[in-house]
Amino acid sequence: MLGYLLRKLLHSLLLILGVTLVSFALMVYFGPDQTYKLLGKSASTEHIQEIRQQLGYDRPFIRRYGEYLGDLFTLQLGASNSNGEAVSDILKRTLPVTLALLVPGFILGNVLGVALGLLAAWHRNRWIDRIISSASIAGMSTSFLIIIIVLQVVLCTPYGLNLFPARGWQVTGLASYLNYVTVPSLSLVLITLGYNTRFFRAIFLEESGREHIRAARAFGASPAQLMGRHVLKNSLPPLLTRVLFSIPLVIVSGSLLLETYFGIPGMGKITFDAITNGDQPVLKAVVGLTAIMFVMVQALAGMSYRLIDPRVS
Amino acid sequence: MNSAPLPPLDLRIATAMTSRVLSAPASRVWPRLRRDHAGLAGFGLVGLFGLIALGAALGLAGQDWSIASGGRWEPASTMHWFGTNVLGQDIFQRSIHSVRLAFEIGLIVALASTAIGTLTGALAGWHADSWADDAVVFVTGVLDSIPFYLFVAAVAFALKGNPWSMHIAMVATFWTTTSRLIRAEVMRLKQRDFVQAALAMGMPVSLVLSRHVVPNTIHILLAQAAIVFVAAIKSEVILSFLGLGVQNGVSWGLMLAESTQEVLAGQFNNLLAASIPLFLLLFGFNLMVDALQNALDPRQELG
Repeated sequence: MLGYLLRKLLHSLLLILGVTLVSFALMVYFGPDQTYKLLGKSASTEHIQEIRQQLGYDRPFIRRYGEYLGDLFTLQLGASNSNGEAVSDILKRTLPVTLALLVPGFILGNVLGVALGLLAAWHRNRWIDRIISSASIAGMSTSFLIIIIVLQVVLCTPYGLNLFPARGWQVTGLASYLNYVTVPSLSLVLITLGYNTRFFRAIFLEESGREHIRAARAFGASPAQLMGRHVLKNSLPPLLTRVLFSIPLVIVSGSLLLETYFGIPGMGKITFDAITNGDQPVLKAVVGLTAIMFVMVQALAGMSYRLIDPRVS
Repeated sequence: MNSAPLPPLDLRIATAMTSRVLSAPASRVWPRLRRDHAGLAGFGLVGLFGLIALGAALGLAGQDWSIASGGRWEPASTMHWFGTNVLGQDIFQRSIHSVRLAFEIGLIVALASTAIGTLTGALAGWHADSWADDAVVFVTGVLDSIPFYLFVAAVAFALKGNPWSMHIAMVATFWTTTSRLIRAEVMRLKQRDFVQAALAMGMPVSLVLSRHVVPNTIHILLAQAAIVFVAAIKSEVILSFLGLGVQNGVSWGLMLAESTQEVLAGQFNNLLAASIPLFLLLFGFNLMVDALQNALDPRQELG
């Protein structure tokens, strides 16, 4: 057990090093140069040198990366280049918005996916399975942008039902929260549902083909018992892996897309703006935190196997 | 390339033996495909769009996409089937021309990702538990841990101005899945008798890999290439919306990005003209992938 944990820890540390190295190189080292943005017109050579020194552009790659790792582990995130706001304050401000935006849609997308997957697997090759399977392929074939635009037109404009605001995030209470979160959440559900349903159906099908399911059926287990107690429970390891692993990806990619589109001031929008502006302190923080989050999720997945599945030791 | 000595006799026998192993599933592919009506419909749709793309590439269709042939936001008419955009360009012509770009992006990204994925996957799978294997597994693990849009946006931005930045960004993220699948399959195939026989007869490893191992992963390669094709086209839309995609020219992504502003003013022509063909092409591809996976998987029994 101790050996397993040590190996996991070493693996996680290496992965954090790798992910931060690649991200740092891409987003910070090769990212946009902010020197001339911070300078006025006709700046002197010394002034340029001074700014470059301040931003760290004059130091070699390895040193900059090393300093970055040091800052990350001591949680010294610095202040944004663009407006001087402390990065920790930016994260405190934007992370709750992103979570409030994505959590409902993420949960709903997975719960619906599991339910539809079970239904389709139970009615394998009958019309109900065919409808669910075709619909999930159709969902996978629709561009995320089309889903968002169409939902926006249907729900938020006078050309459709005009029930919700088309953009923005002015949340003061539950009513305004529901008002602003509904359309982005529905978008997220429709974006993920096709992929989720298809994946869950496949793992449920694989499980329901096994001998013990046939045995349980022969002993007279009802469909609900079969699917719930036997198929669903035994499919938990791959199911949980997928859900856990999709958390960091959905949080970063989903928020990037939804927040940019709906003009919501969350992590995704901040990150995208930081990429295009070259706001290094913000990027460094996001990149580092994402890497750590991902590695933690992987470790969590490994451990949850041991809890759920007695065969793993 | 100088004259290579003729392979020894036993090697030729081994080749003949294994080529029979290979051709067996191939003869079962067509009967399986023929009964898969949804899959055939998928092939049909993809073929149709392929012809349109070819037509646009050869200058037979969609050539007037950049000419302002009408007024601003003209409604649909017999002249302009989907009306005109804000600059008075014919939206239908633009959509047709976009088919070519979609195929160009899809093909380039799919071919490059498959090539890199096959090479690294075969190398890692054959030399399992060597330093090369560790390196490949580590790099794929790292790349998969970076959220896709963040990574693609960063690559696209770091290479901004380079017309290939979008393609490079996609290939850099998409090859890892192919590599991981091929690695697992090569590890499995290496244990098989026909591979061990070829090795025992003294066939060079490079020849064993290229003749006996990699061809037997074709069911993974074809399906995975088609999956990457779909992913590339979908990503182009998002990247173009974010301003990191197609720079000059026209694509469904750019048309949709244009429409995000227009739909609030009640202009739906760009949205319709881009989303309908985009959906049909992707739907066709996804049906085709399903059919390919079912028909080519050697473990799948007939019936």
